[in-house]
Amino acid sequence: MGPALCRSRILEYPMTVSTTTWLREQVRPVRRLLVAGIASGGVQAVLVCVGAWLVAHVLDRAVLAGGGLTRLWPFVAALVLIALARFGLSLWQRRATFDAGAQVSDNVRNALEQRMRQLGPRWAVQQSSGDIVTRCVDGVQALVPYYAGYLPQVALTALIPLLILLAVLPADPWSALILLLTAPLIPLFMVLIGDTAERASQRRWSRLRRMGARFMDALSGLTTLRLCRATAREEALLAASGEAYRQETMAVLRIAFLSALVLEFFATVSIAVLAVLIGFRLMWGTLGFEQGLFVLLLAPELFLPLRALGTQRHRRMEAAAAAEDLVALLAVPDGTTSVEGAVTAPVIFAARQIALAFEQVDFGYEPERIVLCDVELEVAAGTVLTLVGSSGSGKSTLFNLLMGFASPQRGCIRANGQDLASLEMNSWRQHIGWVSQRAHVFHGSLRDNLLIAAPTADETRLQRALKAASLRSVVARLPQGLDTPLGEHGHGLSGGERQRLALARAWLRDAPLLLLDEPVQHLDAVTAAAIDVAIDALAEGRTVIRIAHRLDNLADDARVAVLADGRIVEQGLVGELRALHGAFARLLATDCAA
Amino acid sequence: MSIQASSTEGSFAVLRRLHGLMREQRGWMVFGAALAVLSTLSGIGLLAVSGYFITSMALVGAGGAAINYYTPSALIRLFAILRTGGRYGERLVTHEATLRMLARLRVWLFARLVPLAPAALGELRSAELFSRLRADVDALEHAYLGVLIPMLVATVVMVVVVVVSLIYLPWLALPLLLLFLFGGGLLPAWALRQGRVPGATVVACNETLLALAADGLRGRAELALYGAEKAHADRLAAVVARQRRAQRRIDRLQALGSAGVMLSAQLAAVSALLLGLSALRGGLLGGPDLVMLALLVPAAFEAIAPLPEAWTQLASTLVSARRVFALADTPVPVPEPSQPSPSPSIRQHDLSLRGLRLRYGANGPWVLDGVDLDLPQGRHIALVGASGAGKSSLIGALTRLYPSEGSVTLGGSALDAWHGDDLRARIGVVEQRPYLFDASLRDNLRLARPDATAEQLDHVIEQAQLSDYVTGLPQGLRTWVGEDGIRVSGGEARRIAIARALLADPPILLLDEPAEGLDAGTVADLYAALRAAMVGRSVLLITHRLGGLADMVDEVATMRDGQIVDCIPVADYLARFDFSRGNEASFPVSTCCW
Repeated sequence: MGPALCRSRILEYPMTVSTTTWLREQVRPVRRLLVAGIASGGVQAVLVCVGAWLVAHVLDRAVLAGGGLTRLWPFVAALVLIALARFGLSLWQRRATFDAGAQVSDNVRNALEQRMRQLGPRWAVQQSSGDIVTRCVDGVQALVPYYAGYLPQVALTALIPLLILLAVLPADPWSALILLLTAPLIPLFMVLIGDTAERASQRRWSRLRRMGARFMDALSGLTTLRLCRATAREEALLAASGEAYRQETMAVLRIAFLSALVLEFFATVSIAVLAVLIGFRLMWGTLGFEQGLFVLLLAPELFLPLRALGTQRHRRMEAAAAAEDLVALLAVPDGTTSVEGAVTAPVIFAARQIALAFEQVDFGYEPERIVLCDVELEVAAGTVLTLVGSSGSGKSTLFNLLMGFASPQRGCIRANGQDLASLEMNSWRQHIGWVSQRAHVFHGSLRDNLLIAAPTADETRLQRALKAASLRSVVARLPQGLDTPLGEHGHGLSGGERQRLALARAWLRDAPLLLLDEPVQHLDAVTAAAIDVAIDALAEGRTVIRIAHRLDNLADDARVAVLADGRIVEQGLVGELRALHGAFARLLATDCAA
Repeated sequence: MSIQASSTEGSFAVLRRLHGLMREQRGWMVFGAALAVLSTLSGIGLLAVSGYFITSMALVGAGGAAINYYTPSALIRLFAILRTGGRYGERLVTHEATLRMLARLRVWLFARLVPLAPAALGELRSAELFSRLRADVDALEHAYLGVLIPMLVATVVMVVVVVVSLIYLPWLALPLLLLFLFGGGLLPAWALRQGRVPGATVVACNETLLALAADGLRGRAELALYGAEKAHADRLAAVVARQRRAQRRIDRLQALGSAGVMLSAQLAAVSALLLGLSALRGGLLGGPDLVMLALLVPAAFEAIAPLPEAWTQLASTLVSARRVFALADTPVPVPEPSQPSPSPSIRQHDLSLRGLRLRYGANGPWVLDGVDLDLPQGRHIALVGASGAGKSSLIGALTRLYPSEGSVTLGGSALDAWHGDDLRARIGVVEQRPYLFDASLRDNLRLARPDATAEQLDHVIEQAQLSDYVTGLPQGLRTWVGEDGIRVSGGEARRIAIARALLADPPILLLDEPAEGLDAGTVADLYAALRAAMVGRSVLLITHRLGGLADMVDEVATMRDGQIVDCIPVADYLARFDFSRGNEASFPVSTCCW
């Protein structure tokens, strides 16, 4: 497949069957609101007919019978009432359909949130691109106009011309016949508009977007362009591509607008033909003026909904594009990562000290891809176990299992003899402090970010946590201290600072089990030393499992488990293992040579 | 200047400037506007003449004198043709104008942004601001179709209709004018003003939503561990509800705007009836003229219908234009010398830095604080130091992408006097995160040398150890890379960047942590590529890794706090480290092998 092809696949969103079905399914809970909105539109169309008759009647009396205001004023007053009623009804219609759209988007958002919760952290961290976030937030928004605007308009486009035909028929069957001759063309228009024109306008949009993408691509790579001295050429290319896109797009548009031209042609010509025919029949006296005028007033209304539908079409395209993403996300397979709700009567876990045991644990995120195999480990309460192994050997997976983000396929993990699978997860997780390599910085202040680990901590405790994690200098740098919103206007946290944030959270957590993922990040010497001291202080008296990336500074009496391809290949004290010239010694050697 | 800051220019100044940018397309724009006016007036004329025609005919049928019915029926046909053809022509021409404008605007903005990158565009790196710029440019492109055309058409129609009513029924002009102004001006302007606060709320909530959704993805592990998932969902729901309320308010206001136009149209029709009936009684107005006016007036208000939307568009166009202009007006951070030495020729390429200083922001700390370094031709120097010591900033200063103080000479010639492009022709850079464009692999490589032959390409591909990779690609060099194309791993991207730099064949090569974040096997390939690339060139290699360094460089320069603290032969430097045991006593801790 050529690049052009594979790009157009991304940029054009054909309404696939599943997307269409999904969009339709979302209607169910809001059907009442939509029906109310559509009914309101229908009533307004009836009022339009009544209004047209009133105007025709008044003018007929005035012009032909010399009637004056004294006799005709009730009709004019009725017109004012109708105007007010249409005003109120149209407001009400918008209200109902907006609520329908809003409700659908709320439902979808809740479903998404629930889905993300089910998929759990393992899935979440895999989503490296922030794209998915934007797509979901914007995508959920894009659903609103579809349900609030497009869908009701589709129904009204089918309903209103029918109502008007019914009104015209008794007044003047001949005119009704002419309109009826154009009426079968209306579904044809709908097909024209809904199909040919949609494809054409999709092509047009994809071209516009492609050009936009190229422009944004050039801006993103501006530094590289400057370094390569390619800016002048890129400018010329941008101008040329703009010109090329214009020509291509216009070629498409000339055809795309044809279907609109056909609609316009029929709308205009049928009015002209009606007017001329009505005029002559009036002259011959075969038609009443009131009836003729009534038809002429109503004829344009027949085509209005079709035009309105044309302006709503982009909403359908946007909703379809959004639905594609949302459906894909909602349909992510569960895998084996979900653990919640597996046990019928979960046990509340409570302990001061934790001893851990892995018993013949097998685990794979997908059944055929084993990550951990037959893992046997014991960590006595209050001791430290260091995990080493090359990347991908299963170290972080072990942490995921311990935190309950995944559960073993075979074997079990016991804390103080209790199987983790039988525990109430939140009560278990409360016993874990986790120092990740890079803590996630949540939207909010540094205070918010600390309190997430210990919502009840008071100011003194927070200050002590900051001191323990060497974060006080960071607070001093922020203009509003702890309460400065992070992530805006450059008040972000560096990689090293995020690691210290993780440390502060673990400190606040004050939990008996500490999971420690050592930093790969390069810190300056002073901070690194301070953090080592803080970690040692924190580890005091707790059960600790640490993932080590640096092997050169492990003490001889540290207990180490070496992981390779999901198996524990060596266990023991560093001093012994080094002398063994086995897996650990090899790891040490390759690590220094790299 | 930050791109969030809007310029303080008045609305008219902004519009005038926008208009200035569109000057080249003025012919097309005027033509399009004329067609739009023509087709709208034809549509109104068609109805009005039809009304006149059938009434006259009815009066003939009722026993009046025979009339000339050729003229009105010819007019009906003419208006029908003008209406249909005019609409089609209008759409084509206005889109032509828009597309021309779009191409021009992007090229203009690109040219303005080039000298700003990357020093003054730091904030553009954030995806949020980037997508805002994209939306801003889109908004400017739609200014003509969405703002100018509807406003112009409505104004012309209003003038014409008021003049017509002055001729036939002078008193009608007053209510018409008032209702036009109310429905097309006052009401939408009021709605717009009322919508400002909820509008800002919607935008603010959207940003919070994006941040919260990102939290839900990236921070999912922390949320789960700390039992904060429910709190997070609640927070999300609260923001959604707040946004929903604001959106609802905006939707109500918009509904009010369009219902207001409808109401104005019908009140105008009622006024025409009331005033017309009295005039008819008084003999001041003929019957056909009355019917003509009764059909003309409501039809004319259809031209006002798009105005509420246009007002909203105008407001957002102004905001977007201010932001774009503010960005485009950002002072150039590193101005080119007013009279650059014409294509400087130097015989050798000894690079010499004396007292080089650089800081980000006028009050920021000096990131480079007096760097002295000599890089004689052909010498390879590694630059080490903790993160934040200023290593990467040195590249920014040397390539003159960031403003710096102090002296840099190349072959004895002061670089200040050179044009930036001449300078960058001699100093090639392999960035840490090279940007790959959404283009074919070949185009990505040829960026720095568009006229490179196939042999030259093959040569650098081999040097960069990319041969196997390229052969393995389905379409070889024609394979599409970047956003819509194949995924390129970090190691591959850097080797592509190396090939790209080599193709330009610069005498000096700056390499920014080429091995950072890559696994050992990848690094081995990469270093092989680098060794080949470095032959015959001066090289400054920024690195954290000591492994393999002995074969790569002659000297090691250590950087600390923005200065080069020593520069010694690589063997002496490596001798500082004792690899048999982890020895952290020696500086720098962070560059120890891991």
